[in-house]
Order: sequence, then C-alpha cells, then structure tokens
Amino acid sequence: MTVPDVFAYVLDALDIETLLVCASEEEGKRIALELAKKLGFKDVDIVFIRFQGSGVRVRIRAYINRPGDQYAWLDL
Amino acid sequence: MALKKVLLAPLDPVHDIALKIINRGLRQAGFETVILAPDLPLEEIIQTIIDEGVETVLISRTLGYGVGDLLARFADLTDAAGIRDKVKIAVGGMSVRPELAQELGFDAGFGPGSSVDETIAFAEGREFVKKSNLERKHEGDMTASYTYNVKHNRIRELLGQITPMILDWAEGKTSPGVQRAVIREELWDVKKWRDHAEAKEFSAEYPKYCEESVREFYTKGVLHPKTRLFSQKDVEKLKAYVWRSRRDLQTPYLQHNLTRPIIFNQYGTGCPYMDIAHIKASEAYGADGVVHFDPSWGARTEGLYDGFLTHQEDGTVITPANLNRIYRALEYGTLWQVRAHRGLNTPETVVLAGKIGANLTKINICYGSLGAGTDPSRLTVDAIAAIKYAARYKMPFDVVTNEELSGVPAYKAFAGMLIVSHLGVALGGRPILQPLFCFSPEVMIGGQMNDNYVDFNMAKILALRAIIDAPIWPGAPIGFLTQTEDRVQSSASTAFHASLAAMLEVDAISIASSDEAYSGGPITVASRIDTLRAVSEGFRFFGHSRMEVNAKARQWADKMVEGIEGVLETVAARGDFVQALYDGLLGSREDGAYPGRAGADTVVQK
Repeated sequence: MTVPDVFAYVLDALDIETLLVCASEEEGKRIALELAKKLGFKDVDIVFIRFQGSGVRVRIRAYINRPGDQYAWLDL
Repeated sequence: MALKKVLLAPLDPVHDIALKIINRGLRQAGFETVILAPDLPLEEIIQTIIDEGVETVLISRTLGYGVGDLLARFADLTDAAGIRDKVKIAVGGMSVRPELAQELGFDAGFGPGSSVDETIAFAEGREFVKKSNLERKHEGDMTASYTYNVKHNRIRELLGQITPMILDWAEGKTSPGVQRAVIREELWDVKKWRDHAEAKEFSAEYPKYCEESVREFYTKGVLHPKTRLFSQKDVEKLKAYVWRSRRDLQTPYLQHNLTRPIIFNQYGTGCPYMDIAHIKASEAYGADGVVHFDPSWGARTEGLYDGFLTHQEDGTVITPANLNRIYRALEYGTLWQVRAHRGLNTPETVVLAGKIGANLTKINICYGSLGAGTDPSRLTVDAIAAIKYAARYKMPFDVVTNEELSGVPAYKAFAGMLIVSHLGVALGGRPILQPLFCFSPEVMIGGQMNDNYVDFNMAKILALRAIIDAPIWPGAPIGFLTQTEDRVQSSASTAFHASLAAMLEVDAISIASSDEAYSGGPITVASRIDTLRAVSEGFRFFGHSRMEVNAKARQWADKMVEGIEGVLETVAARGDFVQALYDGLLGSREDGAYPGRAGADTVVQK
C-alpha cells in the first residue's frame, strides 16, 4: 500500500506560531518568511505579527490547499 | 420495593473523586450506595460486598505498573468468595478500556470520557444508549414561542401605518427576480431534478428572465469565468469524505447546561467541497447551525446558474447542485440558513433554499438596499415575494442590520428592522431580529464602548425587548470589528460576546472564526474550531450566572427606543417607505448608507 504524502492530510493550511528573537517587526517579518521558505512552503502569509520586548510573536501561515484546488485529502 | 444497592470502592491510594461523583449520580437515580475509603485491602472489600448484600460493585483504579495483576486478583477473590455470579462488577479509571476490563474478569470498564449515566445504566442492568448531541440540537423553530406583539403603543401604531403603505406601494408591481421565483416555484420540481429528470418547461422559460451571461450558461453551456465544474469522480470522492466524517461523529454540546443560544457558524469559501469540510468540522466541534455565504457578484446577477460549481473567490455560488450537495452533507439536526437579504435573486433564492431543505433564510429590505447595493424599489418588490415564500416553506428569516457597519446608527437600523419584521408578520412570516453585537462606527465616534463592550450591546437587547416580543439572534458575526488577527484575542473576544449573548438569553448567535480580521487569504477550518472551543469555555465559565443591567445600559436603551420611534414617525409622515429609503430616513449618505443601484429601473407593473 502506498502511503500518501503527509501534506495530503492537511485540509487547508499549516500555521506556525512562535516567538522570533529580533530587533523589529520588519526584521521579524523577513525572518518569518525566510523560515517558511526554508521549510519548503510556497504559498505563505503572515497572519499575525507583533513586536514586543525581545522579538516578534508571529503566526505564519502556509496554505497547502486553497478553495477550489484539487484536494489530496479527498483521496485518503 | 427495596432500593438496589451499589458498593463503590476506590482501589487507588488517594484518588476517589470520580467515585464520589458517580455516588451522587446513583443516589439521585434512587440507588442505595455504600462508598468505601480509598486503598482498603481487597479482602475487606470482598467481605463488605457480602455483608452489605450489594448487587453492583464499582471499583476505580488508575492503571499503572502491577495494577492489572491487582484487578485480576480482585476478580479471582470474588470467585473464591462465591459472589462473582451474584454481583455485577465494573472497573473505572484513567486508561481503562472496556475490552481490558473484560479480559481482567470484569463485567464492564469505564475509561476517560465515560459518563455518570453510563454507570447508572450498568447498575440498572440496561444497555446504555449514548444520546447524540446532534439529537439535542435545535431543529425546532426558535420563533415558536414568540407572539410578535408590539408592546410599545406608539411604535405599534406607526408600524401599523407603514406596513399597509409598503403593501399598497408594491401592489401590482413585479420584477425579473419575482418572475424567476415564480418559474422556480411552479416549473422546477426538486424531486424530479434529484432524479435527473428533464424539466423542459423550466429550461425553456427560465433563461428568458435571466441576464445575458446566465442565459448563455443555459443555452450554450458557458460558465461564469470565475467558476469551474466538478467532475463525477470528484463527487464520488466527496461522498466518501462525508461518509468518513460521519463515522463515529460525537459532537459536544457547547451550551453546557444552557438551552440557548443556538450557535451558527458561517461558511462560504467559494468551493462547496471546502465548505463541506468547514461544516463537518463545525458540526464535530458543536456548532448547531451553518450559514451559507454567496459571492457578491451573484447578488448583482439576474438569474442563478446551475451545476456543481467551485468559485475562485470568497462566497460559494448559489446553484441547485451546490445547495443540494451541501444539504446532503449536513447532519440531522444541523440548522441551515441560506441568505437572501440582498441582490437580484432574493425571492428565487428563498424558493430554491426552501425546496432543497434549508431551515432559515435572511431578508432585510433596508440593509439590502442601504448597505448591500440593491435598488430600494427592486428589493422591496422582491423582498415581499421572498417573505411570502419563506412563510410558505416555513423558513423563519433573520432581519439583519449590518448597515450599522457602514455607519448607520443602531436606532435607525433597528427602525428598518422593525418595519421589515412587522411587514414579515403581516405576510405570514416568522422574522427574527438580528441586532449587531459589534464595535460599530457609531460607537467608535460616540464613545459608547470606550469603557466596555457590554453596556451598549445590552442596551440594544433591552430596547428591542421593550418594543416587541420577538426572537433575537445577534450577529453577524458577534463581536464584529472587535477581533484582530491574533487568534487568541479573536477567540477570546468572540467568547466574551457569546457569553454576554447567553446571559441576555437571546435565541441564537452567529460567530466568526479566529481568522475574522485576517484578510490575506482564505479562512482556515482550524480557525473555526478555535472560536467554537472558546465559546464553549465561555458558556462553561458563566453557566447561568447573569450580568447586572446598569444605569448606562438602561439609559442607552431608552434613548434607542426614543430614536426608533422618531425614525418611524418620519417614515410614516413621508407616506412612502421606498422613498424614505432613497431619502435616507433609515440611514443617510452622511451616516454612510447609499441606496443601491443593482436592479434599478427593473420594477414593472404586472
């Protein structure tokens, strides 16, 4: 039996939430996008970011499926 | 008759809370119980069973190293004492599974998630049938207990003047939207359509009343450029997905020990498949109902497309096939609202929704024309027809007041809502008042929410209740413009607004996802679950506790009632409701309301 790609199990998107140590929101945004790129995500956005204290509290979103796509989870 | 006797024995060194809870439940159910201290020697427990002459024994023990042996020894001792066949014995505790309990020699096992009712059923010797929360949901009519009696004398008089004024104005008028609704009503049989029977007469007549782009779909098969059709293979996959989602579906009851409010989640991703995924997740996390959002271009288009269509942008296209597929994916008991509050397909949408099986719809002439782009004349004619169809299909409809978000003050929006509601009742409908629980431009400027979000929202409910005995369903969604992109803040804000709604004992609420304020991409399913979980926590936290109505809320409520009366006076004095809409009496350009143009000059005499 072929095991589907793990991304096939994702209904729509992955959110990555963390605190990035940085000096400004701008820097945090750049790092967040770079991080998402390094993780291999292509359709990426920053849903929430706030710089306070030592860095940014951020929620990075990587869409695996957008409405209207061919959803791999239908084949599971 | 002697009471049945149950012995409860905690084998844990200290933990006996679960047994105490069960003990209380059993006593309330009429059992006589004996509850032992924790950690007694097994032999002493056996002796007590014999001495007390109990019929049922419940022991508890958290599973861990060596515990299996201990439990097996307990079962063996009951055998040795000759009581095993006379007494029913169950074990409960963390990690206990029924199959493991059986393996160890017990009659039943209760693990995490088991309820007191299950143990009572065991003690009573009957099979436990878990009541699905889907069955507890409110497919009943939330409007049923209301009289629609207008309690405020002057407002009753004014509404009594305005309603016939609207009906007189509309007498003898029709529109392409009304004509399509008549065709859909008379020539389109949903049962035959579901059986793929050809509807020759409908196919010949319907396109005549559609605009060119829709007509081309029916005559040449040309789709709207933002849509594409699903294949039959896709449909089969969807059916399998829905079936998998239904398997073992156990839904939580979000309201804790309350009976209200009913909780609605909105969907309208553009894709019916993704919508169904949102619906199934909403159901699994306890939503009572779902609301269909269609795209804004659909509301500006004369005529409805058909086919199982996905759409590239927000809003899922209203077609018979899309609605039917969504309807079939709903669990029994899930309420379904299809909106028809604005646009050129209002009456036909109601007919279609009614024929397919929707429970509710949404109609408001004032919001639809002042805040959602439809020409006031056109929407008045269409809404009257829509309300009549809603009554025919027994679909209550909410009278939404989202013009507040454009800047129209609450009292003006409420005056419009009351006019449409009164008209609705006169036409045999069951309207539901839908005030906004929102951080509206009115309060941003006026400062009524500078201190808190409670008093002004509370004032709205007090004002409406002072005027009319009607159901109230704040929306849409609650907390609008208070939520940010931070999902914790967004979920918390939704939960607080939901809790306030529950304390005010409103009938229903519409909630947003925690993505409400995020506009960079589609709303995710996880964000819908966030707010359902948060709302559930709010209900659990507050239960039946109530918030005090303070002087400020009362003062604003009185002012609102006064304002509503004033607006109704001006509309009645104008003698023409439709003209009053054009003239800004129910929301002016200065407020931020602009009479819509979609469908202008399309009203004709019959």
